[in-house]
Amino acid sequence: MRVSTSWMQQQSVGTMMDRQSDLSRLNTQLATGKRINQPSDDPVGAARALDQTHLIADVAQYQRNITSANARLGLEDQSLANATNVLGRTRTLVLQAINGTQSDGTRGDIATELVQLRQQLLAQANSKDGQGEYIYAGNRTGSAPFTQQAGVTYVGDDGQRMVAAGPGLQVATGDPGSAVFGSIPTGNGTFAISAGGANTGTVVAGASSVSDPSASPSAWDGGTYSIVFTAPNTYEVRDSASTVLDSGTYDPTSGGSVAFRGAQVAFTGTPAVNDSFSLSASGKQDVFATLQNIIDALRTPHGGGADMQNAMNTQFANLDQAIDTITRTRGMVGARMNALDQQQRLNDDLTLQYKTSLSAVQALNYYDAISQLGAQTTALQAAQMTFSKLQGSKLFDYLR
Amino acid sequence: MADMLSTGVSGLLAAQIGLSTVSHNVANVNTDGYSRQIVSFATKLPEGQGGYFIGTGVDTVAVQRAYSQFLNNSLWSAASGQGRADMMVSLTGQINSQVSGSSNLQTSLDSFFGAVQDVANAPSDTASREVLLARAGGLASTFRSLSGQFSQLAGQVQQQLGDTVKSINSDSTAIARLNGLIRTAVATDGTPPSDLLDQRDALVKKLAGEVGIGVVTQSDNTINIYVGNGQALVTSTQAHAFGTAPNKYDATRQEIVGEGGSVISGRIGGGALGALLDFRSSVLDPAQTQLGRAAQALAATFNAQHAQGADLQGAVGGAFFSVAGPVVQAASSNTGSGVLAASIANIGALTGKDYTLRYNGTAWSMRDTNGANVALTGSGTSADPFEAAGLSLVVSGSAAAGDSFRVQPSRDAASGFAVVITDPDKVAAAAPLLANAAGTNTGVAAPSISLSDGSDPNLFSASAVVFSSSTSYSIDGGAAQSFTPGAPITHNGWSLQLDGAPAAGDTFNIKANTNAQGDNHNALELGKVANMGVLDGGVTSVGRAYSQLVSHVGSAGAVAQDDQITQKAVYTQAMASQQSVSGVNLDEEAANLVRFQQAYQASAQVISTANTLFNALLGAVRG
Repeated sequence: MRVSTSWMQQQSVGTMMDRQSDLSRLNTQLATGKRINQPSDDPVGAARALDQTHLIADVAQYQRNITSANARLGLEDQSLANATNVLGRTRTLVLQAINGTQSDGTRGDIATELVQLRQQLLAQANSKDGQGEYIYAGNRTGSAPFTQQAGVTYVGDDGQRMVAAGPGLQVATGDPGSAVFGSIPTGNGTFAISAGGANTGTVVAGASSVSDPSASPSAWDGGTYSIVFTAPNTYEVRDSASTVLDSGTYDPTSGGSVAFRGAQVAFTGTPAVNDSFSLSASGKQDVFATLQNIIDALRTPHGGGADMQNAMNTQFANLDQAIDTITRTRGMVGARMNALDQQQRLNDDLTLQYKTSLSAVQALNYYDAISQLGAQTTALQAAQMTFSKLQGSKLFDYLR
Repeated sequence: MADMLSTGVSGLLAAQIGLSTVSHNVANVNTDGYSRQIVSFATKLPEGQGGYFIGTGVDTVAVQRAYSQFLNNSLWSAASGQGRADMMVSLTGQINSQVSGSSNLQTSLDSFFGAVQDVANAPSDTASREVLLARAGGLASTFRSLSGQFSQLAGQVQQQLGDTVKSINSDSTAIARLNGLIRTAVATDGTPPSDLLDQRDALVKKLAGEVGIGVVTQSDNTINIYVGNGQALVTSTQAHAFGTAPNKYDATRQEIVGEGGSVISGRIGGGALGALLDFRSSVLDPAQTQLGRAAQALAATFNAQHAQGADLQGAVGGAFFSVAGPVVQAASSNTGSGVLAASIANIGALTGKDYTLRYNGTAWSMRDTNGANVALTGSGTSADPFEAAGLSLVVSGSAAAGDSFRVQPSRDAASGFAVVITDPDKVAAAAPLLANAAGTNTGVAAPSISLSDGSDPNLFSASAVVFSSSTSYSIDGGAAQSFTPGAPITHNGWSLQLDGAPAAGDTFNIKANTNAQGDNHNALELGKVANMGVLDGGVTSVGRAYSQLVSHVGSAGAVAQDDQITQKAVYTQAMASQQSVSGVNLDEEAANLVRFQQAYQASAQVISTANTLFNALLGAVRG
């Protein structure tokens, strides 16, 4: 085939341009380490790379959320631990105070320390997180949730802050003070006992429980009942309409327990005729009121009698409920932190997986690219050499 | 003896013509479009001598260009393909580098939604709220900058359209002039002038690179050139100038018009002009629309969720982002006083297409960009608007028959994307209302509350919903209303949804969520917008819409590159074939030079011999 001289030159130049453009693309790929530098390099891959980058960013944000949630839960756990210590010391003091060897004076000393402990507990209930927000204020984190004015009032709300820890996973990062310190069930959690105000005997109500929740013929129904000692050694159980449901004997010297409808109450001491105790379904009382009631009971002049004992026993049950509530809350906090840790590890795995597929989509295969670089360089040199050879051989050169 | 001298002279002259043709070929070795010329010789009429003939020398019959109409036609067609492919690669390359550059929308979206989560982690922290506003500003500027880059590219396309049309017009004028010269030359000399034909062919090739053309050769050696389906560009010595004119609906958009003023943009294919028009309508416009649609989706969804929340002062959240709605443009030819107003009725039903509404004197009809009819529901009044493709269209005034409007639902929406909120306290991270089930409830219904009308003046009034039976309730002691399980209870601008069945005597209290600086309920919901399916009937998230845009732009670029490689191969092949016939080869010319030089020298020797013979004869007579 005939070849035109100028076309041959243009072709050679064109080939060199092509090789140089290939080299320039390889240069960009090697410099960035990416196979896709423009969407047109691989349209589907570019979109996938964007999706993967988005997933990685999403998970990174979840990890940030978890870090911040852990910090907040850590502070809550710390303050709950402090509160448990305070209540533990309170419990020890209350046990001491119930002891019959105490005098009004020593009970007053204990009450003074309890006032101090109550203040400490209030400080824990009003503690703040790293951002200066009150931990136990629900969502009203801007002001102290527990205010002291003739008793402690809760001014927070029942809100609970959640954090997004993973796709579709939200974990609570706090508990409202109303649930932790505020609404604590009284008595044994099912019912509470209170001694009649006109009691004159030395009978004292002790431990109580629902020992048989499925008692027959009738189980505990949450109603209000009274136990009346008709004589020092006999009692009657009456319902709210004063109908006698049950009766039995009681041994005043060694004490004994009264059981009905699956509920059981232990008594000690000698009752006077018509001494009574009323049983009613558990109510709610905040821990500060419990402490205040204990302090008030201890400060009763000429104390140490059955009325104080009964009052102390009632509040002691409430105190145990408070300790129980806080311990349970701590357990939940621990469980949440545990869940967050697990999610964090899962998120790490996800990140690794997303990064692996991102790199599969867009990362450059260096071995491949470098060997291509060698091949393309050789091709360019060959094209340059061919051009110079061709230009050097012309028939005109011989016509001299 | 025949006339040896005149035979010698004829050889001398023929060799001279051969030498000058070789010189012409060598001189034009690098002239674009030049076809090498070939001298053809023939023996002169011999002298009859009775029983035999004696030759009388050589005649130069013709100097012709080495030329194949077929190969030139394929070269022109290849030039058209290559002109289109080159322009397309250059244009798609620009838009590709725009979407791969620093203004990556996905990154901006990720950091914006990250900031939303950070607000959820610390709702009362002003610093994190400020960061959110700053990131929102960054996101808005990414939308605007991408849209601005697309607009800039559109401006550049427009500029190039004008320049290309000018160049086409100057080329067609030159071709028409050459047509005239060639016709005259043929009339005068009886044979077409090779060099003029070459010049004209070179111009045709250049023109083919600019726009796809059809060439028809006439019997008088002139050529007619047509564009598209029969729009004449050159007829004989007459050039028909193209022009640009504003679009019927959008005066800022230039369309190509023929000599009569009729719009021919849609009929042009091939060449740089075809690529410019094609790029504008099939890459740039959709990209701008897709971006606008993503902006509208983000603004609509985020604003809707933001309006479900309460800011630090407890007020209902206002609009967070602002974005432009559909653009309606009336045709410049409209004669009636009709006005069309369009708004988005359903963001998930937006298609990314543009639409034209036409009034035929009795009814309105709607077509999409591809000309497909789109069914309209409703009657077009503000009480009962036309609804189609996620749009709500209201016609007012009186349109005349033949009037039309163009609706671009999302075009340029991203260019006005902005953050409305400037005060960090106004970020609505909290829930505005609280709904609680009373502790004495015996049913299992769990309440959840949302806002149905955040502007209700009684929104924040406390209310109690009391069930008298599982199917009947009253609000604040009002009249008994029947309750359908699963259906919301609405009152005072809120909407209460119960999960589970309520029992008789159950009470649900609704009250304002006051002083809830630490509430992050709505911030968490705002965070979910990031991956929420919004577009295409609720399957495509905003981020996904952007990766679709990138993929679309990327495919256009990849297709253009592949096409360029193909077209280059086709062009190279066509050029090599054409050059193998018409191109000048210097080695060949060197050989020809030697050939004609030797012929010249030999003819000179013939004359010299004739002279010697003649002298010998003279000497004999004298002697």
